[in-house]
Amino acid sequence: MSIAQASNEPPPAYYPGCSLDGLGSPYETSARLVLSRLGLSLDRIDDFNCCGATEVKHFSQDVSVALPARNLALARSMGRSQVVAACNGCVYSLARANHAVENDETRDRVNDLLTRGGSPAYDGGASVVHLLEFIYQRAGPEGVRAAVRRPLAGIVVAPYYGCLYSRPKCYTGVGRRPGSDNPEHPHFLDELLVACGARVVGDFSAKTICCGGGHALSDLEVSVAFSAGILHEAQRAGADVVATICPLGQVNIENHLDRIRGTYGDELVRPVAYFTQLMSLAFGSSVREARLGDNFTRPDRFFRARGFP
Amino acid sequence: MPIVERSLVEVDRLEHLELDGVDVSGDWNTFLRPRVLTDLDSKIVDWVKRQPFGDTISLCWQCGACTASCCMHTDYGMPEFNPRFFIYLAQVGDEKQLRLHSAALWRCISCNKCVERCPKGVKVEEVVHAIGRYLSATGAAPESPADRFDRAYTDNLLEHGILDEAALYRTYERGEGRKTSLGDLLRKGLLLLRTGRLRTGPIAHRTRRWAKMRTVLRARLEEDVHAVSPDQPKAPASLGGSR
Repeated sequence: MSIAQASNEPPPAYYPGCSLDGLGSPYETSARLVLSRLGLSLDRIDDFNCCGATEVKHFSQDVSVALPARNLALARSMGRSQVVAACNGCVYSLARANHAVENDETRDRVNDLLTRGGSPAYDGGASVVHLLEFIYQRAGPEGVRAAVRRPLAGIVVAPYYGCLYSRPKCYTGVGRRPGSDNPEHPHFLDELLVACGARVVGDFSAKTICCGGGHALSDLEVSVAFSAGILHEAQRAGADVVATICPLGQVNIENHLDRIRGTYGDELVRPVAYFTQLMSLAFGSSVREARLGDNFTRPDRFFRARGFP
Repeated sequence: MPIVERSLVEVDRLEHLELDGVDVSGDWNTFLRPRVLTDLDSKIVDWVKRQPFGDTISLCWQCGACTASCCMHTDYGMPEFNPRFFIYLAQVGDEKQLRLHSAALWRCISCNKCVERCPKGVKVEEVVHAIGRYLSATGAAPESPADRFDRAYTDNLLEHGILDEAALYRTYERGEGRKTSLGDLLRKGLLLLRTGRLRTGPIAHRTRRWAKMRTVLRARLEEDVHAVSPDQPKAPASLGGSR
């Protein structure tokens, strides 16, 4: 079973960023499983650099645009017009660079930096989408349903989108591009998880709140409160598992686990897993293949107890 | 235009809320005559306009949609974090009042709800960060932990093109004077190694042919950090350079 690529055009470029390569590597492994099961493919941008997230822009506009623009330029030189990123922070800063180079002066200054630094120049033309949106647009809930071998029956999931997946629409275009998600009330993740046979909690109010990840180290008070808030809302809604689409959200919760346990108690903590890990489990991969044991919240124990191999 | 958040006005300033013999404290039943502010100081707003997307500050019409959306203001419940008010204070150049809020100003976590919802297209998140950085860059307020983290992050990233999270963690925590016990570091490191989530090997995870790019970007960064404030002699601590 496979879903053919939309046309004969080459697959979009894939930008891993710093996290999918390191701390978020279970995300990448499971995303590969999901994409191959759905018959989708992506071409990794070779020799990428980090996007600068939301930190570099506080010092210099040109540098904060040049860093992501270099990756977009590499995608263009591969002949691709679409870039897929799996991290909300990457989607944000790549899309922000696209917005910034619409200004002629900024584009000239950034291209001057890029060419002097030995990179191709970037004149726009590479649209940016999140991996979730890519899977939804290409396979859709029907395609996912057809690929399921072992439905996640009886598993209650809280879909956590986080902040920069859809926001702000003036950069990401979510809600403006045809076929994109709803920026205020996103539903793509809900639908894909339902297609996998899971029950998705309806009133998960923490869906699009921030995890505080931007200040994960510099403002513990706030980032612990927000990551605990996500778990608290999941608990209130009766979810067994929290599904994330952003490595920063995942890592922020994991990094604060001890503090959350200490302040709010053990019962708040529940398994947190990337949506691709849950999907690949439904597509027939084992708990080990989906690398669920590599998350610090240990979703592997939960799923083994529910009879998943 | 001037709408000052009454709950945020410091009590000791209430006595001075009389302008040209007119009570402007906003107390119920006080007659407010129209007045013109003539002593506006544009240096903060000029500075903000030179920052990334900072020129959008002039679009603000003080509706407060940003503050109503703000996750620090509402979800976290920090009333003194009020982006609309910060923008107002920057526009009128009230540095003294901004300084009183310097402990709150840096705490934006970039969730971008404000940018999403601003009806005028102000890039509020970037503007508020610029206002916060104005205080630390000119020495009006001490550098915030977030400023220090952003610096450590930028420095780390520009070194090899790809972030070295372990080194960033060590550098930042050491800089903050936080003591992480060796046992704790080992435990975290081993956990990451065991789960295959730590980048290993020094060569595989660096951007190739990065040296030229590093030189170019560091030079521009240095320029931008120092060019922000020509009339202010105090420059923020140096970014980048060899380690």
